[in-house]
Amino acid sequence: MAATSAFRLRLRTPAFLGTALPMALGLAFIAFWVAAALTVQFWPLDPPLDMVAGRLKPPSAEHWLGTDALGRDVLSRTLHGASFSIPIAIVVVLAAALIGGLLGAVSGFFGGFAGAAVMRLVDITLAFPPILLAMAVAASLGPGLENAAIAMIVVWWPLYARLMRAQVLEVREREHVEAAMAAGAGPLRVLFLHVLPLCWTPVLVNATMDFGQVVLLAASLSFIGLGATPPTPEWGAMIADGAKYFYHWWIAFGPGLAILLVVLGFNFVGDGLRDLLDPRTD
Amino acid sequence: MAPEIRRKPRPGSALGLLAAAAVTTLALAVPSQAQAQGDTIVIARDTDFNTLDPSRSWCDSCQIYLTAVYDQLVRIGKDNETLEPRLASEWSVSDDGKTYSFTLDPKATFSDGSPVEAGDVAFSLMRLKTLKAGASFLADGIESIDTPDAKTVVVHLAAPDPEFLGKVSSPYGAIVNADLVKEHGGTAGPDADKTDQGEAWLLENSAGSGAYVLESYRPDDELRLAANPNYWREAPAAGAIVMREVQDAVSQMQMLQSGGADIAMQIDPDTAETVGSPDVVTELVPSFNFVYIALSPGAKDLEVPLGPKVREAIGLAIDYDGLLEVTTGGAADLIASPVPTGFPGTKDLPMPAQDVDKARALLAEAGLGDGFTLVAAYPETNIYGVDLTIMMQKVQQDLAKVNIDVKLEPVTFAVWRERVGGDHIPLTAVYYAPDYYGSGQYANYFGMVPESPWYGRAGGETAEGLANGRMAELLEEVRTAAPEDAAELYHEMALEMIADRVIIPLVNPKLVLAYRKGIEGVRYAVCCNLPLEELSKQ
Amino acid sequence: MPLLLLGVATMAFLLSNFVKGDPLASILNERQMDNPQVVAAAKARWGLDKPIPERYAIYLANLAQGDLGVSFRTKRPVMRDLLDRLPATLELVFAAMVFGSVAGTAIGVVAAHWRNGPIDHGARLVALIGSSVPVFWSSLIALYIFSVKLAWVPGPGRLDAALAAPPPVTGFYTVDALIAGDWGTFLNALSYLVLPAIMLGWAVMGIISRMIRASMLDVMQQDFIMTARAKGAGTWRILLRHALRNAMVPALTIIGFSFAYLVTGAILTETVFSWPGIGSYAVNAARSLDHPAIIGVTLLGALAFLIANLATDIAYVFANPRIRLS
Repeated sequence: MAATSAFRLRLRTPAFLGTALPMALGLAFIAFWVAAALTVQFWPLDPPLDMVAGRLKPPSAEHWLGTDALGRDVLSRTLHGASFSIPIAIVVVLAAALIGGLLGAVSGFFGGFAGAAVMRLVDITLAFPPILLAMAVAASLGPGLENAAIAMIVVWWPLYARLMRAQVLEVREREHVEAAMAAGAGPLRVLFLHVLPLCWTPVLVNATMDFGQVVLLAASLSFIGLGATPPTPEWGAMIADGAKYFYHWWIAFGPGLAILLVVLGFNFVGDGLRDLLDPRTD
Repeated sequence: MAPEIRRKPRPGSALGLLAAAAVTTLALAVPSQAQAQGDTIVIARDTDFNTLDPSRSWCDSCQIYLTAVYDQLVRIGKDNETLEPRLASEWSVSDDGKTYSFTLDPKATFSDGSPVEAGDVAFSLMRLKTLKAGASFLADGIESIDTPDAKTVVVHLAAPDPEFLGKVSSPYGAIVNADLVKEHGGTAGPDADKTDQGEAWLLENSAGSGAYVLESYRPDDELRLAANPNYWREAPAAGAIVMREVQDAVSQMQMLQSGGADIAMQIDPDTAETVGSPDVVTELVPSFNFVYIALSPGAKDLEVPLGPKVREAIGLAIDYDGLLEVTTGGAADLIASPVPTGFPGTKDLPMPAQDVDKARALLAEAGLGDGFTLVAAYPETNIYGVDLTIMMQKVQQDLAKVNIDVKLEPVTFAVWRERVGGDHIPLTAVYYAPDYYGSGQYANYFGMVPESPWYGRAGGETAEGLANGRMAELLEEVRTAAPEDAAELYHEMALEMIADRVIIPLVNPKLVLAYRKGIEGVRYAVCCNLPLEELSKQ
Repeated sequence: MPLLLLGVATMAFLLSNFVKGDPLASILNERQMDNPQVVAAAKARWGLDKPIPERYAIYLANLAQGDLGVSFRTKRPVMRDLLDRLPATLELVFAAMVFGSVAGTAIGVVAAHWRNGPIDHGARLVALIGSSVPVFWSSLIALYIFSVKLAWVPGPGRLDAALAAPPPVTGFYTVDALIAGDWGTFLNALSYLVLPAIMLGWAVMGIISRMIRASMLDVMQQDFIMTARAKGAGTWRILLRHALRNAMVPALTIIGFSFAYLVTGAILTETVFSWPGIGSYAVNAARSLDHPAIIGVTLLGALAFLIANLATDIAYVFANPRIRLS
């Protein structure tokens, strides 16, 4: 097939570097931040919540990214921020994929009134611009990272529901599924054993791509003031603090760069994957 | 349609053209920034307007607007202490303190040329009361108002109130052109809170006798004032004033430096220090605002009872000077009692001091030497240059030294109000800016007497021994006291409030006056924050 | 469709009415919050003393007449607030689209011409950064560099405070100033518009540049172009024409998709640049729990989304008659 031969062809061209290098870089970024999220408390950093030096000091040898309005080390807070932003993104994507996927699968497989109702709910939710809906939900739940996570799950699950439903509708028609049903297997068994295993790939691919967007949305909510509360060193909240003192540019620089690297990492990987599979570029 | 391309175009040329156009545009555009119209003064402020209707308004920005566009019967003078005539050229009080008579200045006229009459005063003050909105408590004591003739107003109070003149001098005591307001749906009748429709019109028009009139108001954008052509006093120097919404201190400072603004109102001491410029003048002046913490012995979430000794210990554990440093970089003063320094009765009050040993001893006495946990929920805000989170974190650090573990819960104002009024909050923080010049507002708000809001929030009904009998006596006495004796009574009340140890004021932040060289008349006034009619530009 | 609209309206209502905290917080001040008379008066005035089902009915009835209630914060009708601020947001979004399209096309063409060179890789990096960077952060950095340090552009805002807005025709300060023949105001408004438009349009520029590049390369490889090139004829004209035509359908997808991005981005960009549009209105509303405004903005957003999706679908049919709407 064209894709395979193009792929083989490309391995030999210098253009491959243009694809593999960013992808490797992306994976490296992701790996770094995930490692940070898991292990940062063991790293030799200043404590992120304590005043360790004078306030608003510019970057120096002792404090590579300077200090903020409370005299806390910005580099330390930036690295600790990963332990909030990464797990939240994972939780949100997992929850949205699970909830959305399940609802979409049930809707696609069983149809009927419940199925239609789910899809109406999906339509209604998707009618709102995601950030506005997230803002409205977060505003009504109150501040806090957990509430922001709930708001994001509310915004994200419909996409997976639609995706999964489309997949299930297609797979449902396949022969081996019909055969299983004819053989007398219960519908739930058919759904979970025969249909779902063939449906989850696109959901997984989308989920991976979505991590970056979730990190962005979480930071946006916190920036507005609807997410993390002080003194949590969450990236969006830190940028909001930095905005108040933006002559002291380093306060917002660290967390912003962190977000950029995380999202860039996921985009590099995604872009690379797309390049490898798309024969049209070069 | 695609243009005819005669020769092979260089792909870069399109970009080059774009870049050139952009640079030219910017080069042409930027210079116009610095030339503001000579007669217009621009104020950069994080405006907090809740409305422009005097009888519904309540905010610091409202005070500035109301005193520029409306007049009151009397106004606090430049010394921030003495009442001076404004719309009323003379006034007198009856012996029982319940009747106030005002004679209106015959020269006083509204911006539409019509004279200011007794009917306008009666309408405005009654409307303040009957709308039952933001500042209605200032007029609640009024029973009725007589208007024997066009220039005489007689106000009957339900009970003597030595601070009545102070209340009437507040910006919310603005006198409106009753005919105009009535024409546009305003009413002052007893059920005005249900029937009044005047707010919509007042959001676009002013009906006052002040130095300026409202030209336009765009919420979250700007407020424009134009000089009143029929002003009955000396015309103001500035022909127009624009209050521009700028939310953060740094942008305000930037505008000052570039000339985009003439005055900036929320510059904090940090920014003032870091960002100097030869064209910008910054002054630190003392203010009458303060930030305080409050303890609630009657709160639901208490691990241990907050008796008087425990509360005293908490007060002694705080590093007051360190706190001033952390919150404002030292641009603040200590404050002795919940009455701002400079108000009646505050002379020679004892300033708070840290005494960690005594605090530990008191806690040990109460059997709490090993410490306990204290929940502290507070509104997450930055007010008058003090970030409450930063302040509370310092308090948390200080109390940790006497083994008190403070759990900080920053919440929104909406949630805070529910909690402080409902279950009550063991330790909380909030701020107070004066409503008018007078110490009574503080005594009535913070004193531990059954009618005061903080008595309720401190859990007075459930917690034992909170009610301060002496305070109640003093409040009763001051009603009928002569003005010379009132200061002494307020002094004793301040001491009582300190002894209650329910309200512990922490920071009296200084205000930064920031303005461009050549602007005159910028001062912090207790009447109204910034008197616009005194401003002028060289 | 009507069911969808009802569902949207109901969801907006539910979101705003099941809220933690005192709903009067943005209406009543701290001084009076314990005064039962004042509280009762406020509740009555804002309809908060009625039970939820009754409020829902009133809400729907008003909505049918285009009445979105009165904002708790500005005290003006929400519909009026929204209409007032819509032009500001539209001006910003439009400028961002223009920048994104023009710059994106230019970069895409250049990248295709010198593909795999440093310009191509640079363009790709810029595009990727554009869709990865948090726009509120990049805006802050840009403000710091270009406004504070270099003073190339003025700071946040839409127009110099000392200048009056031009007489409103479209609501776009730039266009209205031109219509009024006020060159000075036009340039001033443009100088304020430049930076936010670029920051907002950056991601769009990135996507369009990638798409134009792909489209150009696609066309470049086709036989007739190869022939024309071999003959040495003026191929650029043909190349561009075909590439752009080729790009039409994906461009529609991009515009539709960009709309969603631009709405999100506008909210955050307006906040950083103090741009008095719907985005900053929405943020203020959410922060101060201004229920009617939150509902109003959410509904407006949903309406805009629905219209945009519909328009894109219709445009698809016209652009490519072979596509049938399923």
